[in-house]
Amino acid sequence: MRQFSIFLENKPGRLASLIDVLSKNGINVLAMGIAEAGNYGIVRCLLDNEERAMTALKEANMAMNLVDVLILELKDIKAIVKKLEANAVNIDYAYTMDGGKIVFKVNDVDKAKAVLNENGIKVLN
Amino acid sequence: MMLSMRSLSRHEIVKLQDDRLRELVKRVYESSPFYRKRFDGAKIKPEDIRSKKDLAKVPFTIKEDLRDNYPLGMLAVERSKIVRMHASSGTTGNPTVVAYTKKDIEAWAELNARCLETCGVSSNDVVQVSYGYGLFTGGLGLHYGAEHMGAKVIPASTGNTKRQIKLMKDLGTTVICCTPSYALFLAESAKEEGIDPKRHLKLKAGVFGAEPWSETTRKVLEETFVESAYDIYGMSELNGPGVAIECKAKDGLHVWEDNYIVEIIDPNTGEVLENGEKGEMVVTTINKEGMPLLRYRTRDITILNDDPCDCGMAHSRIKKILGRTDDMLKIRGICVFPSQIEEVLSSYDGVTPFYQLVVDREGSLDRLLIRVEISEDFKSDRLTDIVDLQKRLEDEIKEALSISASVELAEPKKLPRSEGKAQRIVDLRKI
Repeated sequence: MRQFSIFLENKPGRLASLIDVLSKNGINVLAMGIAEAGNYGIVRCLLDNEERAMTALKEANMAMNLVDVLILELKDIKAIVKKLEANAVNIDYAYTMDGGKIVFKVNDVDKAKAVLNENGIKVLN
Repeated sequence: MMLSMRSLSRHEIVKLQDDRLRELVKRVYESSPFYRKRFDGAKIKPEDIRSKKDLAKVPFTIKEDLRDNYPLGMLAVERSKIVRMHASSGTTGNPTVVAYTKKDIEAWAELNARCLETCGVSSNDVVQVSYGYGLFTGGLGLHYGAEHMGAKVIPASTGNTKRQIKLMKDLGTTVICCTPSYALFLAESAKEEGIDPKRHLKLKAGVFGAEPWSETTRKVLEETFVESAYDIYGMSELNGPGVAIECKAKDGLHVWEDNYIVEIIDPNTGEVLENGEKGEMVVTTINKEGMPLLRYRTRDITILNDDPCDCGMAHSRIKKILGRTDDMLKIRGICVFPSQIEEVLSSYDGVTPFYQLVVDREGSLDRLLIRVEISEDFKSDRLTDIVDLQKRLEDEIKEALSISASVELAEPKKLPRSEGKAQRIVDLRKI
């Protein structure tokens, strides 16, 4: 599962219109974080149907992009940050997800996966 | 006839200009009460004007003269000889009316045919004219030009964009004539209809005019819409479209100098500038019967160049219009043309050519805000990339304009689109 990053203007109604597009197309939001800078921001989210979401967002003329992220268990966080640090993997940003999970965006997703696997830390996606 | 006028030599052009100018001043002095008064007021006689260099003695004609003499006070022929009248929108006060004799209409058609020929259009082409028909001269001007050369014309006019695209596809349009902003809109709309103009349409040439546009808009239009985009220049006071056109060299627009004498002046002092200097274009119509104009101030800013062109034509060239003296925004005392901003914006892949300029005043200080749409192809999950794009745009605009402006990024397709001339400037200053 990959993360959608959607450019939105930072004003009332814009997030509502995004949610509206998703709900009209029967797409569920599994996790979401917002980063803002003045009059615009990026909505980062995990959606349950990548292909359908992509078509729907394109049709709605939204500027967006997909990136690989890691979905991990929040209870493992201490071990996760330690192991990533030890292997020089940088965590760009993170946000929590329902069910005691956390989403990590790292600078080297393949390396991070290998490191976590070696140390018996479960990667959920 | 058409070809021979295009291929006049420099020497023939200069001679024809002087001959026609002498004939014109004599004619208007005899038959136009307006110009007789002007000449008498300036204490000049028709015989004082022997050649182009004497033109500087003649007072300018301005748009207000046409308004003040509304509707037909500027005629140089009997009213009975007029066969057509066009009028401008006249948002403030009287509209400006322009009138044509039968010969004027024929000459105008021939000029537009020449323009189309210069863009490589032939009688085998299907020409879709998507300029407005009616009082606006754009539609009818190109229509007559295309018909004059025997091409197949689709008088689509503006609006009903879906149908425009369907016609292009079904009737095999090869040449589209419209404003550049409408062309961008057509390209975008076609894509939404699932039609890739470059693959599914056969548009070999686009004849785009009625508003200034930049090299980078050309790049976008040639990448997404037409094989080759040409700039056409004109205004109703000078017949309409067909005053000047780009050739395949696309290094300036050739003015049909057997019909028009161009001077470039300093808009503030009225002084005539040398070739190569930037200023306001002033035009004398030397082949119009009904309502000829002497030294008409177009308010368009450009540069005149009579160097030989790669295409071989000897008609002088004007640079793509750099702006209008009225569109010129004075911000903190500095002259800013929207085209300068467009040039910067269009050189970035992360943003679209759609923009809006908002000028406001905070206390005594002008502020310029540039709203521009982020491109749907902008791909990043990192805020820093977007902040960086915004900063780079702001830096480059400051470099280009010598004043600072803030850039605001908008979502794709959120800025207003227009089917006619783009409304890009919002001036909120109360001066």
